[in-house]
Amino acid sequence: MTATVETRALRRRRLRPPRVLVVAALVIGMVFAGPLAYVVIQNVREGADLADIVWSEDTAGPLVRSLLLASVVSLTSALIGTVLAWTVVRTDIRGRSLWKVVAPLPLVFPSFVGATALISGFATGGLLEQLVEPLGVGSLPELSGFRGAWFVLTLFTYPYVYLPVAARLRHLPAAPEESARLLGRRPLQVFTSVVLPQSLTAISAGALLVFLYTISDFGAVQLLRYDTLTRAIFANQLANRATSFGLALLLGIVAIVVVAGERALIRRDPPTSGRNRSRALQIPLGPLRGPVTVAVGAFFLVALVGPAASLLHWLIRGLSSERSRGATAVDVDGLWSAVVNTVWVSIAAAVVTVAVVLPVAYLNARYRSRTGTAANALVVSGFALPGVVIGLAFVFWVLSTDLFVSFYQTLPLLVLAYVIHFGAQATGASGVAVGAIPPHLDDAARTLGAGRLRRFTTIELPIMAPGLGAAGGLVLLSVMKELPATLFLAPIGFDTLATRIWSAMETVSYAQAGLDSLVLLAVSGLLTWLLVIRAAEHLD
Amino acid sequence: MLKIMRVLPVLLVLTLAAAACGGSDDSAPATGTLEGKTVTVYSGRGEDLIAAVFEAFETATGATVDVRYGGSDEMALLIDTEGDRSPADVFISQSPGAVGFLDQNDRLTTMSDDVLQRVPDTYRADDGTWVGLTGRVRVLVYNTDLVSVDELPGSVLDLTDPAYAGKVGVAPSNGSFQDFVTAMRADLGDDATLEWLEGLAANDSPNYAKNSAIVDAVSRGEVAMGLVNHYYLAEALEEDPDLPAANHVFPDGDLGSLLIVSAAGVVDSTDDREAAEALIAFLLSDDAQRMSADAEYEYALVPGIDPPAGLEPLEDLAAVQVDLDVLADGLTGTLALIEQSGIVE
Repeated sequence: MTATVETRALRRRRLRPPRVLVVAALVIGMVFAGPLAYVVIQNVREGADLADIVWSEDTAGPLVRSLLLASVVSLTSALIGTVLAWTVVRTDIRGRSLWKVVAPLPLVFPSFVGATALISGFATGGLLEQLVEPLGVGSLPELSGFRGAWFVLTLFTYPYVYLPVAARLRHLPAAPEESARLLGRRPLQVFTSVVLPQSLTAISAGALLVFLYTISDFGAVQLLRYDTLTRAIFANQLANRATSFGLALLLGIVAIVVVAGERALIRRDPPTSGRNRSRALQIPLGPLRGPVTVAVGAFFLVALVGPAASLLHWLIRGLSSERSRGATAVDVDGLWSAVVNTVWVSIAAAVVTVAVVLPVAYLNARYRSRTGTAANALVVSGFALPGVVIGLAFVFWVLSTDLFVSFYQTLPLLVLAYVIHFGAQATGASGVAVGAIPPHLDDAARTLGAGRLRRFTTIELPIMAPGLGAAGGLVLLSVMKELPATLFLAPIGFDTLATRIWSAMETVSYAQAGLDSLVLLAVSGLLTWLLVIRAAEHLD
Repeated sequence: MLKIMRVLPVLLVLTLAAAACGGSDDSAPATGTLEGKTVTVYSGRGEDLIAAVFEAFETATGATVDVRYGGSDEMALLIDTEGDRSPADVFISQSPGAVGFLDQNDRLTTMSDDVLQRVPDTYRADDGTWVGLTGRVRVLVYNTDLVSVDELPGSVLDLTDPAYAGKVGVAPSNGSFQDFVTAMRADLGDDATLEWLEGLAANDSPNYAKNSAIVDAVSRGEVAMGLVNHYYLAEALEEDPDLPAANHVFPDGDLGSLLIVSAAGVVDSTDDREAAEALIAFLLSDDAQRMSADAEYEYALVPGIDPPAGLEPLEDLAAVQVDLDVLADGLTGTLALIEQSGIVE
């Protein structure tokens, strides 16, 4: 039996991937290449001189700042996301079930409203300063520039790391950790010597998403006054289209280089050996239990309660003010339909995205394949381009022939746009999920005569469930806050919570923005609990 | 399609619709002429500001108005990318820059004189492809706790004085600031404009993302003053009447109190030019213009309508008349100057 497993493993390494998988990855890669191809076409059409743009002084500064910010935010997010995931999933910290629900939530703040809320909470003259003023505390450090962007983006992006790592930790075999503990290792030593090496793929997949999100973010860096590449892309989008598209292409190239680098550097995790039907091991924190609980609580006080308090403050302040325009401070008409629209469109996009990227994840986790590598890079490039560019690329391709005109600005196409924009968020976590399937289980089932479909539904899917849940959860939260592509591609009159919030912010209706953002937060919390956490536990 | 009507009391809309039906305003189309027609609008103006007027148009004419809301620049990019298959009939922009972009790309069609002549010729395109709808004034918003009235500058050009170092927030990435810089180029030339921008840069004038962010920062006391459009403060005061902030209008027709317009044009690929123009004509009717002044705190551009409450008449403000075509066409050069000045942090 042992010999058979070994030869199979050896053969697998040399085995060519199934043709159907390669073809699927090829098709998927081509669809995901749409936005980047559009950017290339526009570069040619506008006669952009890429070399000229890249080496110009005006580009160098913003490019360096983009890369610096993205690197630093990735590092801190990786640290926070990993530590938080381990603490929440693996220790006996108090209030675990609460932390599980709230931990992914900061991801749902659209950066334009999240950054504004954090600024009005923590910046000079903000809520916090007003609160601590009577205590004799002077002015707080200014929340802007590099420091501000770093702080805000870390708080809003660490869930990209948290979700896949938490999913990975749920499925790590308890035995090595148990042994380490029995050998007298302290919790921290267990974490660094056993847990960390086994979660590296999930951590780096998440950190990669943070990196890509940061280099493509516009809302937060603009509000925090940190001049990056995206500002130059937007500043030039009407007047200097060649520059704007040249810089967008640069962003896409950076993304592909970083993705390739990540794949080359990070060794894939070995598939988990041994069945893990037991509950994940819980490490008693002992005397540290109190302080760790307080630390985690304090973190969420800043990341979640802080912005939420600002939003609530806007709402209450607006409701209590006299209004001269004969208008009410908030409008609840249309709020319910926006909730319904947001919920179902984001669920649909999450499910379709996970299904679409799964073949690519299989190909890359199981085989060495150039097609797989290329498809993966193309899927990821869709996330590195700003949403406006993705939206315009869609408009360009759909209206380039008469064929799809009747689908233009319909919901199926909107969902497809979300899939392409956020596919990258699902590939990493799905790859981790596929990697979690012990090969010998599959082999055993095959030996027993189980067909491909049966093996998939009865063996692989349950094992992958937490990972796929994390993948879908990331997409879900991202779609719920997506704005630019929605404004371009949604059917007229199809409001989502994000479009309502944006609309309110544009006309300085902060009370309305506060109410709608709090609703968005509540709805995303509910969905995370129902679809990501409960589902994963149920299948465990 | 517009189910949400929130800004104005129903009464006002009904009055407006009745007025339009009664034909008291010769620019408004007669009742029912557009029954069964649909006008698709891509609007850079917010739903809060303009939805009620569209609804009044629907009531008055029987037409259906489908509106896609978004940023002005983004909606202009969308129409440009859509090309001949664009569903849009009408484009409404917050600023001259975005209509100018579509005009330069030949995506707007000339409107009839009946529509264009509703506003003075300084507020419309020379080639008749777009027309101003409402106006807003550039002002200096200041924190009343931090700045006393006698410290306020007489001219926008004074802001480069070292006395204002670090005190004046600007939004160089924002369309209105760029429009203002374009106007300054037209008035004083590129060299003087660059010098002024460099002066602001040397003063370490803090950068903000947009007008509303400056008003927020001034209200919090993070920065003492800021260059913005006048109505953002009025909107912010609706949310919190206790804000320690006020607008300073640069006196004596200073360049600093430039009027910037929102504008509308008919998209060249429209399948119903008549209905599209009827909508724009309606937006320029006396009653719709009055609604803008009352509800949006903006200036009506059609002559003879009172300024928004608490503001001086338009004639007293803008001694410097800048041809708006200049604003629409000058964006590229302006961005280059802004970039060159080093004002962007």
